[in-house]
Amino acid sequence: MAVIGAGMMPAVRWLVCRLVRNAMNAAEIKSRLVENAAVIYPGIYLNQLRGESIESQCQELLAGGIRNIVINFEETELINSIGISILLGVIESVNHSRGTLVLSNLNASNRELFEMLGLMSHVEMLDTEEVALAKLSGRVETVM
Amino acid sequence: MSDSNAIPILNRLSARDSITRAAELSKISGSDEVGSRSAHRAVMLLGSRGAGKTELLRQCFDNAFGASGDTVPFYYAFGHSFAGPLSLARDYFSQALAQFIAFRRSEPKLVDIADEPLAVIARGAASEDYLHVRSVIDSFTRAWDSGDAALIGRSAISAPPTLAAPVGLRSLVMIDNAHLISDSELRSEFLRRLAGNPRAIDVPARYVFTGRQRELIRLIGIEQRLLDSLEIIHIEQVSEDQLKPLLLRQAESLEIETNDSTIELMLEQLGGDPFYSRAIIDAAAARGSLKTFIEFQRLYAAELRGGRIGQYFDAMLDDAAPAPSSARAALEALQLIVEAESPVPIDTITGRIADHISDPEALLARMHSRELLDLTLGFASASPDPVLSDYVRVKYRKEISGAVTPIAGDELLSGKLKESYALMMSRYNRAIQSQLTELLIRFDSQNVPASLFDQESHERRYRGMSRVTVRRALDEEPERVRLPQIVLVNDAGSGKQPGVTWRLFAASGFEGGVYTDAHEVVWLVALINSKEPVDLESLGRIDQRIEQSLRAYAARQPAPQSIRWYISKEGFSAIADERLSSLRAYRSTFSHLDLIQDHLTKLALEVERRPATEFELVIPIEGEAELIAARTAEQIARAADFDTESINQIKTALIEACINAAEHGESPDGKIYQRFAIDEDKLIITVFNKGKTFGWAGGQSTPSVATQPAKGARGRGLQIIRALMDEVTFDRTDDGARLVMVKYLKRPGNQ
Repeated sequence: MAVIGAGMMPAVRWLVCRLVRNAMNAAEIKSRLVENAAVIYPGIYLNQLRGESIESQCQELLAGGIRNIVINFEETELINSIGISILLGVIESVNHSRGTLVLSNLNASNRELFEMLGLMSHVEMLDTEEVALAKLSGRVETVM
Repeated sequence: MSDSNAIPILNRLSARDSITRAAELSKISGSDEVGSRSAHRAVMLLGSRGAGKTELLRQCFDNAFGASGDTVPFYYAFGHSFAGPLSLARDYFSQALAQFIAFRRSEPKLVDIADEPLAVIARGAASEDYLHVRSVIDSFTRAWDSGDAALIGRSAISAPPTLAAPVGLRSLVMIDNAHLISDSELRSEFLRRLAGNPRAIDVPARYVFTGRQRELIRLIGIEQRLLDSLEIIHIEQVSEDQLKPLLLRQAESLEIETNDSTIELMLEQLGGDPFYSRAIIDAAAARGSLKTFIEFQRLYAAELRGGRIGQYFDAMLDDAAPAPSSARAALEALQLIVEAESPVPIDTITGRIADHISDPEALLARMHSRELLDLTLGFASASPDPVLSDYVRVKYRKEISGAVTPIAGDELLSGKLKESYALMMSRYNRAIQSQLTELLIRFDSQNVPASLFDQESHERRYRGMSRVTVRRALDEEPERVRLPQIVLVNDAGSGKQPGVTWRLFAASGFEGGVYTDAHEVVWLVALINSKEPVDLESLGRIDQRIEQSLRAYAARQPAPQSIRWYISKEGFSAIADERLSSLRAYRSTFSHLDLIQDHLTKLALEVERRPATEFELVIPIEGEAELIAARTAEQIARAADFDTESINQIKTALIEACINAAEHGESPDGKIYQRFAIDEDKLIITVFNKGKTFGWAGGQSTPSVATQPAKGARGRGLQIIRALMDEVTFDRTDDGARLVMVKYLKRPGNQ
């Protein structure tokens, strides 16, 4: 797990600070960097506000060179259609930037919702954050 | 108050021969009015000729008399028989006295002592009332001796409450033929009494008066003070459902053989009038049979010529036009109007009868007040009474045109027999037309099984099934037709050819209850009565008329959307059905109408049956208020034993519903209203707002909000709701829109 500190690369430090600031100003979206990947936590309710925050974070991550993103829905109790629409936009952006987005820790209802709306064909869903990170890490290694 | 077992005193009919009109009796007596028993009240009873106003007053008298309660009934019918106002006042006073004494002693026969001298009447009073009665008589006698007509009139008119009040009773004063109070002094006093005395505390009395309605309205028309406090009760003619069993009962008691068809023809031909019907039944008693149409028509013709019905009209005509020359003028005028079958200019009539009478306008006005004809500005039209029209034809033929009397038989009889079948058919057609128009006006955006609008599909699905099974299966039918909300039904004409009659209706309204030009719709409905399935040729003729109407609607700017609906008693031939199908027209049979009616009634009952437990929540359109709604739904669903998966689905669907309600900016109060109802096996969530739209219009899946935060989001919203909830309906309300979502409990066999 990465810790914000003096040992970090400046670009990464700047990015982490932006993430924290964004989270404070818009919706409180927690996130963290794990080696070459970022994990984003949408919180209990993925709506337009939080969706837009996630979208802007992802854009900044991609701009900062981070191509692997996990969105962990463990705490997410509710997702609305606007949140889903924005999420589709995020998936498109990440794919366009040749990055990889993985969704994890979806409860049965949210998984059903994503399946129903056809998100499965656009994005991979894994059971846990750890599995997602491991998969991304392996993938990175394979790519590299 | 109603007591069908009361002993007839004034009522001229036995309880067996009377129609119980409890609601009307209660209104007349004021027995259902809270706090009225100690107050002054004036009530005018209006109703057309033959509505039974007199019998109602007489029944009311008998009921109050029989009840022996705190209300003394008084009934008085004005007439022509008195030479002057003084003798009229004397009669009024005597009647009041006799009826009071009879009531106090509970002896109906004492009502008849009114013709005796006042001193004799007084001797009939109960001992405890004697002094009081004597004092009232003395007071009237003093007025009488003074010769002051106004004082005498006042003393007489005030007699009923003056007698009742000192012994702690309220008086119910019922005045019949009030239009015949011709003396101006007496009339003024009567109107003053009706209006009550604003400077004094009135004695408790209820004045109910009736008479010829047009004259009554004129009588009180200028009495502003009376108009302010006057209560008006409209008496409708008794319904056929009430009259038919009564007539059958009467026929049975008079040992007259009859049957349903003849009684129905009689009701149809006599306009459902109890007086005419009773006259025919009485006349039939001598023959002992009223089984066939010809027996009825023979009696009818005889009644019109010289029976009770003919005499009744003779008397009415004589009353309106007593002199021979004016009688002839009256008959000429009536004949002209009856034969015209449409309103006739008054000038035409006065020109025709001016040779017989000097003031034709006055004669027409008298006939109008007696409801022999209807005068409107510039035109005269025939009374809607079909029997009066027949009377006029017979009378005119006999007395004016000088037609030769047949050696045997009757011309009227021959004509009426020819009309009988058509009359019965028109009766049947009218019943089904009335059913259809009532049905159309009930159309209010309901979803109805589609096979009820597609004869061929209905036949394919349900052939050979019992009606009960079909009803049950219809509930399960997945395809539905969404009805418009109909606000207006117009007659669009009729037509016939051998074996087929049809009537067209244009039903206008709005799709989805959205009141905009774009949602305006007209249903052109053809109601076809034929002995065989409608063939292509008949359909072609009907279509010509429908096309005419369609062109008229198409010419309007903007033109409403049009739908064709053909309803045939016996359905359609295969080729006719094919043609209608190619026109995308709805096709039903008469039996489908019944099923549609049943379905709408069922839906209405479901709406009325409110679930046992309901919660309401109002959230503002701001922030993440929909989360509060979701939390509330969670608690309610948990309490109703829904499982976690269902609870999450409900919450997600509700979130979407709230977003839709919030997204359009036209909600005037910025609020979203939610109702959560727990029924036996389901949770019903209604989300509504006050605004023009609700995220999507008419339940379409395309987004309609002005501001779309994310492309396709609203389409997904509806998709989510429909996928997660078991039933979803979208409705317009008068001031907004409503989404109703239902989730069923998952129980064994309830999946």
